[in-house]
Amino acid sequence: MALLACFTSINAYGQQTVSGTVIDASTSQPLPGVNILVKGTTRGASTDGDGAYQLTVPSSADTLVFSYVGYQKQEVPVNGRSQIDISLQPRTLLGEDVVVVGYGTQQREDVTGSIAQISAGEMKKFSSSDPSDLLQGRVSGVQVRSDGEPGAVPSVQIRGIGTFGDSQPLYIIDGVPVGTSIRDFSPNDIESVQVLKDASAAAIYGSRAANGVVIITTKKGREDTPLQVEYSGYFGIDQVWQRIPVTERENYQMLNNEGQRNAGLTLAPGNDPSSNAYIDDINTDWQEEGLKTGQRMNHNLNFSGGGEYTTYNISLDYLNNKGTLVGHGPDYERYSGRINTVSKKGIFEFGQTLYYTHTDENSLNYETNVLTGGRPPMIVDLVTAIPTLGVKDESNVGGCAGTQSDVHRAIILNVPCINQLLEGETNVDRTFGTAYMTADILDQDSHQLKYKVNVSYDRTNVRNTYWVPEFEMGFFFNNTKARLDDGQDIYTTAVIENTLTYKGDFGDRHDLKVLLGQTFQKGSTVNRNGYSEQFTQPYFPVLDNGTNQTASGSEFENALESYFGRVNYNFDDRYLLTATVRRDGSSRFAPSNRYGNFPSASVGWNLHNEEFIPLPDFVSEFKIRASYGQLGNQNIGDYLYTNTINPGVVYNFDGSKVIGGIQTQISANDIKWETKTTKNIGVDASFLNNKFDLSAEYYQSVTDDILVGVPIPLSVGATNSPTVNGGKLQNSGLEVSLTYSKLKGDFTFDLTANFSTLSNEVLSLGGDDEPIYGTGTKTEVGGEVGRHFGYVTEGIFQSQQEISDHAFQNAGTAPGDLMFKDLNDDGVINADDRTYLGSGIPSYNFGLNFSGNYKNFDFTVFASGMAGYKVHSRMYRMLMLTSDYLNYHTDMLDRWTPENTNTDIPRRVSGDPNNNGRNSDRAGWLQDGAHLRINTVSIGYSLPKKMTNYLGVSSTRIYVKAQNLYTFQSYKGFNPDFTSGVFEPGYNNGSYPKPRSMMVGLDIAF
Amino acid sequence: MKKLTFILTILMFVGCSDQLDLTNPNEPTTATYWKTEADAMRASSAMYNSLIQDGAYMRMIPALSDGRSDGFRADTPWPDLWQTAAFNVPSTSGPVEWVWREHYRLIYRTNQVLTFVPDMDIDQALKDRILGQAHFLRGLGYFNLANNFKRVPVTDALPDQDEYNTPTASEEDLWQQIFDDFSAAKDLCPVSYANVSGPDQGQVGRATSGAATGMLGKAYLYRQQWQDAADELELLIDGNSPMAVYSLVDDYRHNFDIDHENNSESLFEVQFATPEQVGGSVMNYCCEPNANWMQVSSQAYTYAAQGYGYSDFLPSQWLYDEFNKEQTASGNKDPRLIDTIVSYEPSENSTTVYGDPWPYQSQDAIYPRKYTNEGLPYPELREQSGINYRVLRFADVLMMYAEAQNELNNQPVAAQYIQRVRDRANLPDRTAEFSGYTKQEMRDQIAHERALEFAIEAQRIHDMIRWGWFDESSPRYKVPELRQRDSEFDSWAPGDEYLPIPQRELDVNPNLEPNPANN
Repeated sequence: MALLACFTSINAYGQQTVSGTVIDASTSQPLPGVNILVKGTTRGASTDGDGAYQLTVPSSADTLVFSYVGYQKQEVPVNGRSQIDISLQPRTLLGEDVVVVGYGTQQREDVTGSIAQISAGEMKKFSSSDPSDLLQGRVSGVQVRSDGEPGAVPSVQIRGIGTFGDSQPLYIIDGVPVGTSIRDFSPNDIESVQVLKDASAAAIYGSRAANGVVIITTKKGREDTPLQVEYSGYFGIDQVWQRIPVTERENYQMLNNEGQRNAGLTLAPGNDPSSNAYIDDINTDWQEEGLKTGQRMNHNLNFSGGGEYTTYNISLDYLNNKGTLVGHGPDYERYSGRINTVSKKGIFEFGQTLYYTHTDENSLNYETNVLTGGRPPMIVDLVTAIPTLGVKDESNVGGCAGTQSDVHRAIILNVPCINQLLEGETNVDRTFGTAYMTADILDQDSHQLKYKVNVSYDRTNVRNTYWVPEFEMGFFFNNTKARLDDGQDIYTTAVIENTLTYKGDFGDRHDLKVLLGQTFQKGSTVNRNGYSEQFTQPYFPVLDNGTNQTASGSEFENALESYFGRVNYNFDDRYLLTATVRRDGSSRFAPSNRYGNFPSASVGWNLHNEEFIPLPDFVSEFKIRASYGQLGNQNIGDYLYTNTINPGVVYNFDGSKVIGGIQTQISANDIKWETKTTKNIGVDASFLNNKFDLSAEYYQSVTDDILVGVPIPLSVGATNSPTVNGGKLQNSGLEVSLTYSKLKGDFTFDLTANFSTLSNEVLSLGGDDEPIYGTGTKTEVGGEVGRHFGYVTEGIFQSQQEISDHAFQNAGTAPGDLMFKDLNDDGVINADDRTYLGSGIPSYNFGLNFSGNYKNFDFTVFASGMAGYKVHSRMYRMLMLTSDYLNYHTDMLDRWTPENTNTDIPRRVSGDPNNNGRNSDRAGWLQDGAHLRINTVSIGYSLPKKMTNYLGVSSTRIYVKAQNLYTFQSYKGFNPDFTSGVFEPGYNNGSYPKPRSMMVGLDIAF
Repeated sequence: MKKLTFILTILMFVGCSDQLDLTNPNEPTTATYWKTEADAMRASSAMYNSLIQDGAYMRMIPALSDGRSDGFRADTPWPDLWQTAAFNVPSTSGPVEWVWREHYRLIYRTNQVLTFVPDMDIDQALKDRILGQAHFLRGLGYFNLANNFKRVPVTDALPDQDEYNTPTASEEDLWQQIFDDFSAAKDLCPVSYANVSGPDQGQVGRATSGAATGMLGKAYLYRQQWQDAADELELLIDGNSPMAVYSLVDDYRHNFDIDHENNSESLFEVQFATPEQVGGSVMNYCCEPNANWMQVSSQAYTYAAQGYGYSDFLPSQWLYDEFNKEQTASGNKDPRLIDTIVSYEPSENSTTVYGDPWPYQSQDAIYPRKYTNEGLPYPELREQSGINYRVLRFADVLMMYAEAQNELNNQPVAAQYIQRVRDRANLPDRTAEFSGYTKQEMRDQIAHERALEFAIEAQRIHDMIRWGWFDESSPRYKVPELRQRDSEFDSWAPGDEYLPIPQRELDVNPNLEPNPANN
C-alpha cells in the first residue's frame, strides 16, 4: 500500500495531506498496520508501530476507509480535515473485512462463496499442539473430533462425510498446499484462518478441495515499524478427571466366579477361596496406577518490524506436552522457528517464508509381534485390567507383574509397567520454505496486471524407533529377544505456481478481477526401516548391537498438474459474480482417466446497497448469495490403478529359503477423479449498526464416483479391498451463526453462537450396491453412512418356559439371557433378524463463544457440543461382557440373577452361549453421544498503561485458563467426540481421554 | 517489459504432461510378469506361502480341528478357541474367518498359476510340474474348506471386476473339483523332485504324484467312494507302482519333530522353519507377505503344557484311557501314548516335562505332546516352532486302505493293514481276530485305531463327521456317547460340527448360503 502511495503522491490535483493515529477502541492501544484506503481508488497507506499514518488524498471531499483484520471497517469523510484520529472497534468471527481466498484476497462484502474465518486473537483462546484443534466449535459446519493424547491429530470434517476415503480438508499455508495434517505447525505463527466450505470458494483448489479447504496465513512484519518483541507463554497441568467405575477385587472375583459356575466350569484358582492360589491381598486400581498428572507449556518469542522496503517477522516457539499415562508417553515436544520477509523494489515484490520444526514424540505404538492377540488401545487395556494383579513383580525379567494361566487365567496387559518397558519414539524434522516474486506489469488507476510466481519445497524427515527389551510378564506377554526397529520416512513436496491477476474498474460501477494460473506439484515418499534383535544386557540399543539385522524400504511418487482461472465481477457493489474453472491431471490415475475439470460459479446481491429496496433502518447490511460448483478428490494411494506382483512371498523347501512372487492384491484399472457437486445459498446480515451479525446458509452436496476400497468377498482371495469409483453420497445441512456485540462502555463483549445440522444419505454404493458393513454398522443405499446395525432386544428370559415359547436363539440359552426379537417371524433368531439401531453421525453441532472486556480484564468462555448420534463404546462393552476374564463396569453388579430379575443386564455366564454380547440395542450397547464440552474458561488482566510505561514494556497481559473443564454427557466412556473410521462413525475403539488443563499465561510486548 | 512478458509466457506454459507418468518402483506389474522360467518358479513357490499362515497350518487348521474332536478339549482364555471346541462359535469369530480367508487366498494364487503358466514359453516338463502343484494345492484348499464348512463357493477363474460374488457350489460340484484337481496333480507331478531336470531339482516339499494320489484316495474315502479310494491308495502300497515309495518310520515320534522332516512316511508336509534356518523378523500370521517374513508355526506354543506355553488345549481323559486299553506285546504302555500326551508315567520312565521333574500338583494332569518340542532337545520358543506339519503320512494311507476294504467287505485285507500300523506300536498281532470281524465291528476297531494313531492331527473331527456320528438320522449317530467322553459336546446342536460361514462374508456376498453351523 505504501508502494501505491509513492506512486500516487506524484499527482497534484486538489490534493491534501491527512495524518492521524488509529487506536483500538476497547483498549486504546495504538494499532500498527491498519490499512487506509481512499474510497473508490487504490491509493492508501498503513499505520506504523505507533498507530500513526500519513497520506495524500486527491481531494478534500474524499472518504477514507480504515480496515484492519479483526476490526470493524470504518469509513470517514475527510471533510477538509488534515488530522483524523480514529478508534477501531474489534470484531470477532463475522464481519472481518478482508478475506483470504485462493490466490488472492477479497473484501468480505464481495464474497459470494461460503467462507468462515477465525482471527489470531480468537485462536489464542484455546491452546493445542495442533492448529486444526482450534477450529472446534468455532465454525458452523466444521466438525472436529480428537483424542486426548499429546500430539493427537484431530479429525476435521467440513460439512459431513463427503467421501469414504481420507475426508480431512486440504490445508494451505501461505498459499502452499501442505496436505491433510498441520500438526507440525505452531498455532502462534498464525495471523488468520479461513475455512472455505462450498464449491465456489474452494474451486480454485479444485483437485483436492472436495473436503473443504483451510487457508492459513502466517504473520508478516509491518512497514516503517521499529523492532517489536513479543513474548507469549503458558504453563499448565493436565489431569484426566474422568474415571470409569470398575469393580474392585471382591466384586470382580464374585462376578467372575458366578460366570464360571453358571457355565459349569471350574473357578480360576486366583478367584477361588478354596484354592491355595486364591488372591485376597491384591486390589489394584489400574486407573489410579496408570494415570498421572501431565503438563503442558508453550513459549513463543516473536520479532517483527520493517523499513520502507523490507518487513520481517521472526518467531521462535517451544511446546511441551507431557501426557497423562504412566510410562514412556504419550508425550509431545516441538521446537520451531519461522522467518517471513517481504522486500519491494519498483514494480517487484519478493517474499519468502522459511519454517523449520523439530518434534519429539513418544507415541503409544504397538508392536504386534510382541503384544500379540489384537490388543485394543492401551487406555482400554488399562481400564479393563483385573484388580487381582499387581503392577510390579521383581522376579520377572523387566520387573512387571503378569497374569498366570494357573492363577488368573486372564490375558490382560499391565499398562503402567509395559509402557515403561516399551519405547516408541517419533522424531520429525520438517523444513518448509516458500518464495515468491510479484511484478506489477501494469499499474494504472483502473487497470492493474500483476504476475506472481511462487515456489515451495516441503521436506519432512521422520525417524521412528521402537525398542522392546527382553521381558517376562506372565504367561501371555513375553519377549525373549530384545529388539529394535529404527526407521526413517522422508516426505517431500515441491510446488511451482504461476498466476496472472488483472484488476480493472470500468466507470464507477464495474469492477472486474481475472485470475489465470498454472501449478505443478510433485510429491515423494521414501520409507526405510532397519531391524535387529537379540540385544544383550547392558543394553545399547543401536542397530549394530543386535543380530539378524535386516533392512526394508519402499518408495512412492505422485504428481499433479493444474490450470485454473477465475473471474470476479462486481457491479456497483450490488451484484457480485464469481466464476472459476480448474483442470487437473493426476499421476494417480491411468492416462485415459488422468484429467478432471472442475467449474463453479456464484452470485451475490448486496441488498443494502440497492436504492429501490428500502430496508428498515435497523438493517445495516444484507447480502444474499448462492453458489454451485464441482470439486475433485484424488486422496488415494499411489499406483493403485496397476496390478502388481508381490515379489517377497517366502517359503522354504526342507529348510532352504525361497522367495516367490505372485499377485496378492486386486486393482481397478479404470479409476478416475471423484467429483463433489455442491449447491449453497446463504444470507449475511448485520443489524442495529452491526450490533447483531447473522450468517445463515443451506447447502447440499453430492459426491459421485467416490474412491473407496469396497469390501469384496474374502472368497476372491485378494489381500486388499480394491479402490474403485464406487458410490454416491449426499450431504445437506443448515448452518447458522449469530453474533451480538456490545462495543460501548466499560463492559464490552461479543457473544457468538453457531449451530449446524447435518444429514447424510448414501445414493449408491457402486457395483451391485451391496451394503458395506463396519464394526456393528451397516451402510446401505437410502440411509446414512455407518448406521448402527444389530439385534433388537425385548427383555430378559425369566424362565425356561419363556425360552421355549420364544423363537429359538441358541442351544445354551437359559433364564437371565437376553431375549432378541424375531423380526422376520421365522421362529429362529439369526442374522436375518438384524436391523438399524440408530445413527452414528452427530446430526447437530453447536458452539458458544463469549468474550468480554471490563476495563483491563478480559473473559472468555467457549463451549461446543454435538447431538443426535449413538456411541458404540468398545471399552464399555468389554467391561460388560458376560464372558472372558476382564474387569467389570460397576453396572455389572445389577446383572440378572435368580434374585435380581428386574434388570436389563443379562446374567453372567462364561462362554456366553446365548451370545448376549452381539451387536444389539441392549442397555449400554449404544449410548447417547449428546454432550456439551466446556472447552475454555479464561480470565485475563492487562496491565494499565501507567504500569507498562513504568516497566518499559508496551503491553502486558496475564491470564489463567481452564481447558476441557467439564463435559456434560451421559456417555459412559471418556470422550463422546472421539475419532473413528468412516464406516463406523459411532464406534469408539478406545479414544484417549482429553485431560483437563489448568494454565497460567503471560503475553508481553516490548 | 517485453523480456518479462516472454519469461512469463514460458513459465505459464511449461508443459508437464509426461511427468504424470510415474511407474511403481517397488514391484513388477502383472503385465511384465509371467514371462520367464524364473517367473514361473517364483509363482509356484509363492502358492505354498499360503499354507504357513495362521488361518492355515500355522495354527488354526490344527487348533480348530483338534479342538472339536473327542480327544481334545480347550483350556484357554481365548474365547474363539473354547467356543469352537464347545461347538458354540459365533459366525463373527476371527479365527474362523482366517481359515476361510487364507484358503481362498491360496486358491486365488493357484488359479493365477493355472491361468497364466499354460501359455508361458518354458520347458514343458517344468510347466507340467508347476501346474500339477497348483492343482494339488487348489485341491487341498477346497478339501479343507469342504471338510470345515461343508458347502462353499468354487471358482477356477481369476476374479472378475464386475462379479466378485461367487455363489455357493453344490457339494457334488465342490467334491468334483477336489477329485479333478487331485487327479490332474497325480498325472502332472513327479514321484520325486530329486532327479528332475530344472530349477526345482532337489526341492523337497513340493507336491508329488504320491501326495496327490494319497489325497485323491482320501477325498474318495470321505465321499464313501470305496472302490475309487481303494484303487488310488493301492497305487501307494503296491510294490509294482512307481508311486509305492513310502514306508512307516520306526519311531512314531519322528513324524512330529523337527529332526526327521520329509521322511519316508511323509507324503506331504507344510514346511515350517525357525528364523535361525530361514531368517525373517515379521511373524507370518497373515496378510501381505514380504521377504522378511518368518516361517514359523504357532502350534507348539499354543499346545505346550501349562507353564511352558499357552496350553490352550488338553487331551481328554477319554483319549488317555483309550491308549491304556491295550498293552504292547512286551507288556508296556502303547508308545504312542508317550509320544502324544504328556502324562506322569513312571512305568515308562516318563515323568519329566521339558526336563523338569513333574511340575504339577496332580499326577493325573495330562497335556499334549505331539507337535510340541517337549522331550526334544529344543526349547519352546514362543510361537516360533519350525516343526513341519504332516498333512498326509503313509500310516494314514494304510488305515484308509483298510477302511475302504472293510466297506468293500474284504475284512481280512482290512485286518492285515490295520495290523501293519499296529505293529509299529508293537501292539499284539490280532490279524486273525480282526479278519473275523463283521463290517460294523471292524468300523469300531478302525475308529479306535484311528483315534490313537492320528490323535491331535487335525483329522479326528472330519472322521467323526464322515462316519455319521453327528447325523441324528444315521444308525452311527454317536453324540450321546461323545457327551460321555467330553462334556464339550453338551452344547452341540445339529450342524455345529462344522465351522460357521463367516458372518462378514455372508454380509458381503449375497450369493453365499449359510451352512448348518450358522445358527
